[in-house]
Amino acid sequence: MTKRLLAAALVAGFLAACVASVLQFALTSPLILAAEKYETAETVAPAVHAFSGHAFANPLIVLAHSGHGAAGHDHGGEPQWQPAPGLPRLAFTALATLVSGVGYALLLGAVLVAAGREVTPGEALKFGVGGFLAASLAPAIGLPPELPGVAAAALESRQLWWVATALATASGLYLLAIRRGPVAIALGLALIVAPHLWGAPHGPEDISAMPPVYAAQFAARSLAIGFAFWAVLGLAFGWAWGTVAGKQDIASGRRSGVPA
Amino acid sequence: MVSITRSLSPALVGERLSAVLLAATVGIGLLFVSGFAPVVALHNAAHDWRHAHNFPCH
Repeated sequence: MTKRLLAAALVAGFLAACVASVLQFALTSPLILAAEKYETAETVAPAVHAFSGHAFANPLIVLAHSGHGAAGHDHGGEPQWQPAPGLPRLAFTALATLVSGVGYALLLGAVLVAAGREVTPGEALKFGVGGFLAASLAPAIGLPPELPGVAAAALESRQLWWVATALATASGLYLLAIRRGPVAIALGLALIVAPHLWGAPHGPEDISAMPPVYAAQFAARSLAIGFAFWAVLGLAFGWAWGTVAGKQDIASGRRSGVPA
Repeated sequence: MVSITRSLSPALVGERLSAVLLAATVGIGLLFVSGFAPVVALHNAAHDWRHAHNFPCH
């Protein structure tokens, strides 16, 4: 069963990463590049906007990249490694998508198997939608998807809130959708709502030179890609789970080339 | 092909548990590397993915 779970997760992660990568290249990467133009322009000349059309220069703009000591792109001294622009950068983005895709697929499979459900594409799709709600939509309510260069609260506090929200939403959905007792439903709703009552950590509200339409487009596209990613992940996991089992049966009979 | 998953013997429960634990551990490890690791090289490599999927990033 371990082998079957790992094989199905590899297949599902790969397929979901293919779809998500193409969507990211088409929809979000151009916006990230456009936002970085504003970011580097402000880093080079904080007081003077290189782009016309903005009547004022705001000296209070906090640049997430240049302000962060450890992860700055442009801070002096030692140059930090980063993928070269163009194809290498897209390749590393696709690689990160693949690594995360397999990671999420493994978690999805672990939850499916632990819940004792019969793994079918439909069932896995339901859990995939749950994954989207827990890992994409719920954290986005408090921490909307951000373009580079937008000021935000300290990284660690945001990561902590993100993980806590994803875990609480996932547990809440499990109680709501699978346990279904009156107590479970009440507890599940409380778990889903609690992180938002607690509140996400917020950074300073500054004025950026970046057109707001970029941020709005980015948030919507990011969530749309997230949904496509999770839907493909769920469907592909269910499909691969069945296919791997079929292949193993055939393989034990006549062939030895089992993918995994 | 149909009868494999029907019966739950104690051995299968144990195997199921180990499969779930292994998958969850590896999955969390992969997600940490691609989504949360503070190492600068990893952050820069996964930068666009982190932004696109709303992982808190720098």
